[in-house]
Amino acid sequence: MMLPPDDEPKWLVHAYVDGELDPANARAIERRIANDAALAAERDRIEALGRALRSNFPLTPPPAALRERIERAVGLRRMPSRPTWLALAASVALAVVVGSSSSFYVLAPPGDPTADAIVSDHIRALMAPQPADVASSDRHTVKPWFNGRIPESPRVVDLAKNDFPLIGGRIDVVERNPVPTLIYHHRKHLISLTAISAPRKPDAAPVSRAIEGYNVIEWTGDGVTYWVVSDVAASELAHFTELFRSTPSDQ
Amino acid sequence: MPFVEIAGFREGNARAWVLTIVRHTAYSWLGKNRPATLVVNDDVEGVEGAEITSGDAEAETEMIAKADAARLQAAIQKLPPPFRETLVLRDLHGLDYRQIAKVTGVPIGTVMSRLARARRRLMTTIARDENDATA
Repeated sequence: MMLPPDDEPKWLVHAYVDGELDPANARAIERRIANDAALAAERDRIEALGRALRSNFPLTPPPAALRERIERAVGLRRMPSRPTWLALAASVALAVVVGSSSSFYVLAPPGDPTADAIVSDHIRALMAPQPADVASSDRHTVKPWFNGRIPESPRVVDLAKNDFPLIGGRIDVVERNPVPTLIYHHRKHLISLTAISAPRKPDAAPVSRAIEGYNVIEWTGDGVTYWVVSDVAASELAHFTELFRSTPSDQ
Repeated sequence: MPFVEIAGFREGNARAWVLTIVRHTAYSWLGKNRPATLVVNDDVEGVEGAEITSGDAEAETEMIAKADAARLQAAIQKLPPPFRETLVLRDLHGLDYRQIAKVTGVPIGTVMSRLARARRRLMTTIARDENDATA
């Protein structure tokens, strides 16, 4: 992002918390925050304010009557049998703009298309100049970065002390749906962890398999299906999965 | 016909597109119905937010984190409209800076400064309310 010439560090902290800085600027401001208690306090306040706003004002669906009035106002007629693409797009738009995050779900059949997409996204990340769209070891940076890009930001836990440091996040596309992926590092290997919202799926214990030489583990908990892909040994990936599942996140 | 403009949001998302329409509609409605009470300060970029109170940083963070809906809403309502809409689009609707720039028709640097100032005003208001209450 281009920065205005008269920027001051405290403005940059806002952009940093919002995940709007490119990796070089993000690292620069991380270093400044580490050496400046006032900037660190400002970051804490910005994050506290963001949490207070999100928890007090979750997006709620509009009453059906209001929705109908809006649809009438924009000249939209319901065609239940065969919706036009326009009606469909507008309904999706309305649902997205007013829908709560909990109303979003992806129908991800536990078949191979999802697993194939997950592995393909991991391979593409390995080949890309940078595996992460947002590069940061700070989960307080990575998690908010997803806000605004996808309906739900994933659970992010810090496993650095267990030798699985977080290095960033990216948006993958699985069966045409954008989904959040976290990237962890383990002894020069990358681990991609993709979280796919699936509120109607019952909890399921981790299941391992190998696809194209990559180890893949899938499990479901609290309405989210997690996919972990890496070329680390299956036992290490299972260990990572256990750590991720057992480590609490702040929120 | 707003649908005509959907092509303009080729790379963006549907939410930003709908919010642009909502914004236009809201401002036209306000223009027609509440001309006397809607005050838009064109020189809003020149209005500097007060510095955050220089008290105990941890206590301030705690105070902000614990602010309830009524207090937050009151503080948001005190913001000048351009600051308020930038904050609402970012922190309540989750748009990114580029989308907000498109919806509100200002450069991305302006989005950044409005957002920073809006948040600092909120923090200051919340901290001041708290101090008044405990004084």
